[in-house]
Amino acid sequence: MIVRAALCPSPPLLAPGVTGQTVLLPDLRQACAAAVGWLVGAAPDTVAVIGPAAATATWPPESVPDLAMHAPAVYAGPSALPLALAIAGFLLDAAGYSGPRILQSVAESASPGACQQLGRDLAAAAPRVALLVMGDGSARRSAAAPGYLDDRAEPFDATVEQAIREGNLAALAALDPDLARDLLATGRSAWQALAGAAPTCPQTELLYSAAPFGVAYLVATLTPAP
Amino acid sequence: MDDVAAAGSGPRPTRTPGSLRLRGREFPPERTLVMAIVNRTPDSFYRPGLTWDEDAALERVHAIVAEGADLLDVGGVPAKPGPEVTVAEEIRRVVPFIERVRAAYPDLVISVDTWRHEPARAACEAGADLLNDTWSAWDPKVADVAAEFGVGLVCSHAGVALPRTRPHRAAFADVAADVLDRVLLLAERALQAGVAADRIVIDPAHDFGKNSWHSLEVTRRLDELTATGWPVLMSASRKDFVGETLGVGVDDRLAGTLATTAVGAWLGARIFRAHDVRQTREALDMVESIKGNRPLARAIRGLA
Repeated sequence: MIVRAALCPSPPLLAPGVTGQTVLLPDLRQACAAAVGWLVGAAPDTVAVIGPAAATATWPPESVPDLAMHAPAVYAGPSALPLALAIAGFLLDAAGYSGPRILQSVAESASPGACQQLGRDLAAAAPRVALLVMGDGSARRSAAAPGYLDDRAEPFDATVEQAIREGNLAALAALDPDLARDLLATGRSAWQALAGAAPTCPQTELLYSAAPFGVAYLVATLTPAP
Repeated sequence: MDDVAAAGSGPRPTRTPGSLRLRGREFPPERTLVMAIVNRTPDSFYRPGLTWDEDAALERVHAIVAEGADLLDVGGVPAKPGPEVTVAEEIRRVVPFIERVRAAYPDLVISVDTWRHEPARAACEAGADLLNDTWSAWDPKVADVAAEFGVGLVCSHAGVALPRTRPHRAAFADVAADVLDRVLLLAERALQAGVAADRIVIDPAHDFGKNSWHSLEVTRRLDELTATGWPVLMSASRKDFVGETLGVGVDDRLAGTLATTAVGAWLGARIFRAHDVRQTREALDMVESIKGNRPLARAIRGLA
């Protein structure tokens, strides 16, 4: 079962060195570090990472995070992991976590039902599973955003934020995959896996919620009902 | 000296690329350096008299240090022909100024642009760190001064030109090979004179004893110089070969200079003598990042 869950975004800028000489978004980095530190502090049997990717797959747990596909002069490659799992790897390494890991990707196109089933399977992987959910909101939050402004983006992200804040993960399970895809909200499939793994979370804490470069980032900690 | 080995026929020392050591500081091979020009002359070719006044020259030093200069190159005699500048006059122009700069900047690397050993010696006594012997060892005692004071030495090529002369129908069977032979011969002589290997720099000396075709050929084949392992100084700033290539006067040679700088940096030159310090530093930073040697200032495009 899931003992604790943490939610982090997975922009490349979170990886060491990628933004060059300027450290961008120190507050986001701090929130991620706090969330992951809290997560691994639960003394879990394993940390299970779930993050969106092109396809649903289980990745070798010893895979070294590397961002050569995004920053070829900074990293030597080869990039063994999809972006979301690589960022999770960096966060876990930075938190000093060296225990067992499950690295699971979930297809960005996976159906809500398939995502929730994947979440339930992860929850069953060990008696004490700490779940690290990697997911980003819409990349269409402003005119300067990668996907340009879409007026539907802010209400969509607000729905996600409210669901996390209230621990009402059924609202995540109900997110429309087509709308999420239109809004470049890649976190949808991973959030719905979370909804399957831990349907109700009476205790939640939102550590960060903003879209500083037009992409919505959300950091939160969640404690599921026993 | 175990990183120096004779190669090929005759004295052709190569060097394992390593740090250049000047004023107790180490400059590693992957780092490019800007050598800022400060002319203590009334009649140099670009902005003549700009730093003829000593206070103005010191103000200029403050400015170019702020712009990112790694070294200063102080010269008291223009390269072009003109009224004689005696040894005593050259010393008068250069040495008190070096003393003032040294007092203001204890760690700044100061080069002196001279071809005569008497001003070289006086400059070293005043705190200079590098002898930029642009006329290709016309006076062999300059190397002895470098050895005596433990300072650096630039080994340059000037063809058959004598100091302060313009080339007249200069001709080379293979100018790049001629440059290579000459600067390696001088590097070998410098070693024999007792100059430490990590204080020797080589310079093809664009325009010196060369026409513009020659200077472009040397630029095109700069990798043959950098392959020797000796740190290569490139001195192309606003020179005539840039002007003749583009058909522009000295005031309009910045773009041509920066293009030359970028090619030189790409081919591995390490020191760039420049009038335009900030622009040169930016061009070099750009090349270093293209090479993958320098982190970007701030990257966010496509990474959010």
